[in-house]
Amino acid sequence: MFSSKWAKSFGKKRMTRLRSGTYHFRHALRNIFSNSLIHAVSMGTITISVLLIGAFMLFYVNVSSWVVQWGQSLSMSVYLVDDIDEVTKGGIEAVLKELPHATIQDFVSKEKAMMEMRDALGVQAGLLDGLTVNPFPASFEIMFDSKGRDETAPQKLKERLEEIEGIAEVQYSEQWVERFEGVIDMLKLAGLIIGGLLCIAVLFIVTNTIKLTIYSRQDEIEIMKIVGATDGFVKMPYLMEGGLQGLVGGCIALLILFSLYLLFSLRTEGILGLPVMNIVFLKGAHVGLILILSLFLGLTGSFIALGRFFRS
Amino acid sequence: MIQLFHVTKRFGANTALDDVNLQIRKGEFVYITGPSGAGKTTLLRLMFGAQKCSEGQILINSINLNRIRRLNLDLLRRRIGFVFQDFKLLNSKTVSQNVALAMEVAGERPAIIRKKSHQILRAVGLVEKEQAYPLQLSAGEQQRVAIARAVVNDPLILLADEPTGNLDPDITREIMILFRSINLRGTTVVIATHSKELLKDTEDLVVFLKMGKILR
Repeated sequence: MFSSKWAKSFGKKRMTRLRSGTYHFRHALRNIFSNSLIHAVSMGTITISVLLIGAFMLFYVNVSSWVVQWGQSLSMSVYLVDDIDEVTKGGIEAVLKELPHATIQDFVSKEKAMMEMRDALGVQAGLLDGLTVNPFPASFEIMFDSKGRDETAPQKLKERLEEIEGIAEVQYSEQWVERFEGVIDMLKLAGLIIGGLLCIAVLFIVTNTIKLTIYSRQDEIEIMKIVGATDGFVKMPYLMEGGLQGLVGGCIALLILFSLYLLFSLRTEGILGLPVMNIVFLKGAHVGLILILSLFLGLTGSFIALGRFFRS
Repeated sequence: MIQLFHVTKRFGANTALDDVNLQIRKGEFVYITGPSGAGKTTLLRLMFGAQKCSEGQILINSINLNRIRRLNLDLLRRRIGFVFQDFKLLNSKTVSQNVALAMEVAGERPAIIRKKSHQILRAVGLVEKEQAYPLQLSAGEQQRVAIARAVVNDPLILLADEPTGNLDPDITREIMILFRSINLRGTTVVIATHSKELLKDTEDLVVFLKMGKILR
């Protein structure tokens, strides 16, 4: 803050915030356009980095919500032994039909299981051509209603069913959810590490871009200081420059991410025969977080560059 | 106005100024002279607050430059004009923009900036070159732009370091007339020069420096 005594003694004229903001913003834009190539490279790097962070966030948000939704329902896959006869199979079907609050959704024969795997693998389906024996077991797919989900102890039921002759194994959805949750935790950790590294890379690039701009305007800064510019006055356009770089880079990244989302969300995806997943875009809070992160990275890069310049 | 008490400035083992005492009154026209390396530029830089003295005290309008806060020093510099031998103009800006810069940093309104830069350029005889760039001007014209920039905020003090060092005698005379007219408006003018021609027959205060000491 300017001391009022000094302001009076030396005729300090205060710029209004709006006028000061406009003045510095104009200078920041002028700096960007006069060093357009280097700023374009910097913004491109920010865009790519933020796009990667945003894409990871989108993937994480969707998979997490998918797992949560999936965990709210209870389903079971009852796998049969390979050489089962029709009588035993009929007996098992009768037992399953008697289960309270449960319905048999589907019977998946060995052939159908193989076909589903081929569909899921798509262009990679050729991998299955080398198999001499169909390794996929036939199964009954059972779905429990909401009462069944609350009242059934899936682990006990699994153990009881696995004692029946002709049943090889029983798996229920909660087991998958637990495994997926572990994978998601790993993904979260990997995302944080990669995101952190990308943020450091962005900081490094913005810092060096602003440093180059500052050094190219060293004479101007020297003259501004000679005619009485405060440090804040000199620094403000460069801070705005960094902030703009970050914000524009973040906006472009979000636009690209949204375009990719529109492209992929035109069709719903099924994965290996598991429940169908609807892709949703990032929530407003996530978009805001990405923009704030971009702005923060741009401002911090400028701040570091200015600190180094003024110290030297 | 400007008071130096036992001012010493050292750069490592070298002593640029040694126990300098000097008093310059408001509105005075002062020459600081001496051979190269005598400490003239160092003395001006200390008065401008660009460097701090190693020992002693410097007061500008009773303000101690040893104790001044950085922000207040910036404010003080708005009222101390500085003219350099190499002009220090921005070649990417027009004459008018170079002059305007001094007012922009002082937070002046755009309409006032336009009006005052026009007035000051008229005063230094460059109104018709407002939109020209420094490299399109002669050395004398460039120096007049630098002087216009230094005085546009109505400084209390104008410091000039070898302002005529790069100029021929006719242009030097024009520039000195300009400094004289600025001084007549009440601004204290301190000029560092090694030119004997400028000091010939002068009735102004002349400070002679040698090896960092004032000889007379």
